[in-house]
Amino acid sequence: MFAQVLFSGFALGSIYGLVALGFAVVFKATQVFNFAQGALAVCGAYFAVTAISILGLPFPLAILAMLAASALLGVIIHMTLIQPLSGRSMLAIIMVTIALSIVIRAVIEIIYGPQGRVLSTPLPTGVFIVGDLRMPKLHLTAAATSWVCMAAFGAFFRFTRVGLLMRATADRHEAAMAAGVNVNLMNRLAWAIGSVLAGIGGLFLGQLQIVSTELETIGLLALPAVVIGGLQSIPGAIVGGLLVGMIEQFSSSYISPKSTDIAIYGFLLLILLFRPWGLLGDQETGRV
Amino acid sequence: MKAYNFGSGFRAHMPKAIAAALVLGMATSGALAGDAPKDGVYADHIDWGVIMDLSGPTSSSQGVWTKGLQDYMAMLNENGGVGGRTVNVLAEDGRFNAANDKIAFDKLVSQTPVIALSGFGTSATQVALASEIRDGAVPVIGTYTPTKALSEPTSKMVYNGFCGYKQMADAGVGYMVEKLGLKNPKVMTVAIETAGGKDYADYVAAAVAKYGGTASSTTMKIAAVDVTPQVQQILAEKPDFITIYGIENTAILTMKTMQQYGLDTPGFGITYLGTKSVYNALGAEAGGNYSFISCFTPGGADESDGNKAMVSFADKAGHGDLASNINYVAGWVAGMTAETALKKVDGDLTRASLVSAIEGGFTVDPEGLAAPIVYTPEDHTGPQVLKMFGYDYAKETFVSYGDYADYEKYTK
Amino acid sequence: MTEAPITAVPRRPMAKAWTASRAILAALGIAALIYLPFLLTERAVFGVPLSNGMLLNLGITQINLMLIFMLGALSLNFLTGCAGLISIGHGAFYAVGAMTGAVVGTQWGLPLPVVLVAAALVGALAGVIAGLPSLRVRGLYFVLSTLAAHHIIIFIFQEYQFEFFDVAGVPYTNPALGPMALDTPIRWYFFLLVLVIAVYWGLSNILKSREGRAMRAMHDHELAATAMGADVRILRLKAFALSSAIAAVAGALYAYYLTNATSESFGISFAIQFIAMIIIGGLGSLPGSLFGAAIWLLLPSLISGLAANVGDAPALVRVLLVDNRAQFVQALFGSLVIVLLIFAPGGLPDLSRKLGRLFARERGQ
Repeated sequence: MFAQVLFSGFALGSIYGLVALGFAVVFKATQVFNFAQGALAVCGAYFAVTAISILGLPFPLAILAMLAASALLGVIIHMTLIQPLSGRSMLAIIMVTIALSIVIRAVIEIIYGPQGRVLSTPLPTGVFIVGDLRMPKLHLTAAATSWVCMAAFGAFFRFTRVGLLMRATADRHEAAMAAGVNVNLMNRLAWAIGSVLAGIGGLFLGQLQIVSTELETIGLLALPAVVIGGLQSIPGAIVGGLLVGMIEQFSSSYISPKSTDIAIYGFLLLILLFRPWGLLGDQETGRV
Repeated sequence: MKAYNFGSGFRAHMPKAIAAALVLGMATSGALAGDAPKDGVYADHIDWGVIMDLSGPTSSSQGVWTKGLQDYMAMLNENGGVGGRTVNVLAEDGRFNAANDKIAFDKLVSQTPVIALSGFGTSATQVALASEIRDGAVPVIGTYTPTKALSEPTSKMVYNGFCGYKQMADAGVGYMVEKLGLKNPKVMTVAIETAGGKDYADYVAAAVAKYGGTASSTTMKIAAVDVTPQVQQILAEKPDFITIYGIENTAILTMKTMQQYGLDTPGFGITYLGTKSVYNALGAEAGGNYSFISCFTPGGADESDGNKAMVSFADKAGHGDLASNINYVAGWVAGMTAETALKKVDGDLTRASLVSAIEGGFTVDPEGLAAPIVYTPEDHTGPQVLKMFGYDYAKETFVSYGDYADYEKYTK
Repeated sequence: MTEAPITAVPRRPMAKAWTASRAILAALGIAALIYLPFLLTERAVFGVPLSNGMLLNLGITQINLMLIFMLGALSLNFLTGCAGLISIGHGAFYAVGAMTGAVVGTQWGLPLPVVLVAAALVGALAGVIAGLPSLRVRGLYFVLSTLAAHHIIIFIFQEYQFEFFDVAGVPYTNPALGPMALDTPIRWYFFLLVLVIAVYWGLSNILKSREGRAMRAMHDHELAATAMGADVRILRLKAFALSSAIAAVAGALYAYYLTNATSESFGISFAIQFIAMIIIGGLGSLPGSLFGAAIWLLLPSLISGLAANVGDAPALVRVLLVDNRAQFVQALFGSLVIVLLIFAPGGLPDLSRKLGRLFARERGQ
């Protein structure tokens, strides 16, 4: 039982970590606490449905199309909604992302109807059984993809010029501007990355169940994940995602399925009270 | 420090706002001015009300139900309507929110009055409005969710239009026990942790007890994204079969996750969960283990007159993909029930004359879409005969297991 | 991240003098408020029946619910727009009120006035507890702690409801004010109207008081407030307690008005609608809260009224207004909030003022 719960917590936590990573990249670059992250995951899933089921593209091409559409969506959101609000109050920025998620949900329901859509992909189904431990292939694929993405973006931020520029810009806006870095371009890139990561998360969740606007719930899990890990911290988001996955699975299995919300948010509250900068965050920047 | 000046701007614009509202009001009223008889009965048409969730988490089933009822009325109107009048459906959105339901209810009772109401998908709303309805506000004919508050004791104002959870539990458990040849069956209920789920689990437990078996239950959130712990519980308890209560996603998640974990325990869902999107999402392998218990026959599952008429009209209305949806059929049959009730009235049509005309009972003939629905003065339960359905992935149609008559023994 | 001051409604000269025309206007306004419920119930003027369209598709239930939501919008705007504390957990305080109503009213059988007083006290207490993190964390972290508080309160409600009541929810019966039973919508209307006016009056007086000014100062600049001799932390907790007390009273009224409440009624979208209301009406403006609540509650009906009339309109209009009306209303509200946030942070009144100025300038050219 314990190993089984540990495995499922790890698998789902990886997906949450991926979405939370997108969240953290956006927050680090533009200081936007994005309540629409769940809605972006929904968009990614519907982009995939459009590419696969409606346009009938072959799977690899469909995934590329979905990634491109997600990135474009992130850029458009930054240009039309976030940039005009720069320097404005936190409430305005939070509320604009909430309003955005309401609009996205309504528009998707108008275009695709309120009924869920089936996402058929050639991803492997089935299960590996090792002793008492059952490991669904889809969960393994999702976890593996999440880790590949996380590693890729980690390397991108550490080793590439653009990645380093993005980090520098996020840390020191004015200095970057003085050095001639196009800050807006960097921020747009951050939004594109955030949206793509959410989209991949949405793709897997849509595959694990059905694609509907209800997938938005993942945003509500990524949000505590990113705060628990430390808002400004990229590895923190991943650790936070894993922790949320673990808390969810363990509380549900050992206490009751009803207790997951309170376990996650109770833990969040404790973190906020005693270590508001998060587990891996930096104390100084954490004092907002 | 700034001096604040509450609302001076607002006040300055008040006249403009009022003027704008007036203009808007005039614009709307121009078209609507006219007679407004009290009970929604006009010279050329009758207004019939529907309150359902047309948006929000439950709209994927309730919205389809509403389309079914609207389409039946459209067909009825093409054939001349009722007593020379067409039937116009006024559908109001509840959006999974009791306040919206209350607004919609008051609107249909007095603002744009209707002769009677159907629908009421949210059980909490039925409870909230039960006393007003029982006191005679407006007859409710063809409810979508049966609740105790509205249906017990039997009221002359309320006629249920959907199979009850007790019947679903009795027929479903009875069929599964017999089919699998079980002696002391071990059954697990998977339900969403909201209204009705606990009741359903209790009905299942009672039905299982009749066969000397044991029942347990687990719950999940309505917007769950993961049910691994619930599936772990199934894995640990190893029930002979499971039964699922909730929205489409509940069934999809449960059956799919079970498949992912290599579990092939058979399961059946409540009527609302018998849709193509559930089966398509499950795929042939997991879908083969899944059936659902229903008092309505999905479009295309047999060749009855009612079924053929419904499928062809749905095609014509551009809802061909909905005809196989159990919710659409339920809405369609609710339309038949409404028509039968309206046709019982001789002379003046009012809410009062409608209530007294059907008080002595009436029978709806769903032309094969369901077993005949009999309302007697004492019993307004509505459809009581159910059977099990599955899905043929090759032909992309539903298959019915046996006839309604074979199942009467389970619910008697 | 800094909390930029929320743009206030620009100052305008306010006429203090009660001229004759103002007095007449005020009298007409009061008369209209008194006449409104009768108009909406009888749906006729001097015996001449009015069509539903003439009454803008409005009914007395919407007006009463609007009044109940006005209490929430007022208290949230007091907290957010005036004291500068952002809360996403406001819906949860409605739940606290509904839960208090369930214990004091439904289980103990005490009358409504006692329920309301109890709701205010429990609400204030819950507000202080939920506001405690504000002693340690600020800004965004405080917002998140209100979100955590929301989930915890809703969980408690759900456990309580399943323990003592049916899955269908908690029933609330027989609301009465002493000898007068609140058994008709018109009685509810007058009771709620008086309550909204009282809360409005009370809050605007508090804002004018010494502490209120300090609170405003705290919102603009914490140091300034400290210079005025105010303990900012205590002030913050007080503001939170008052705001949640009002929301809890509104929550109890909401439950009694609907006669039934479940934990599902108070989800996160329930809380978000209050934030939308105060953005639409204008942050930091008490009358704006009323205006925002009115728009939020009444606009959907106006749109439905229009939708009933489209008839043979173009396909796109039909798709939006008839087939997807509910989604269309949501998209419209979401877009409205976005447009207001970007172009007119003072809400709809601000937007109309800006548009007015724009037209005036074009005419001048």
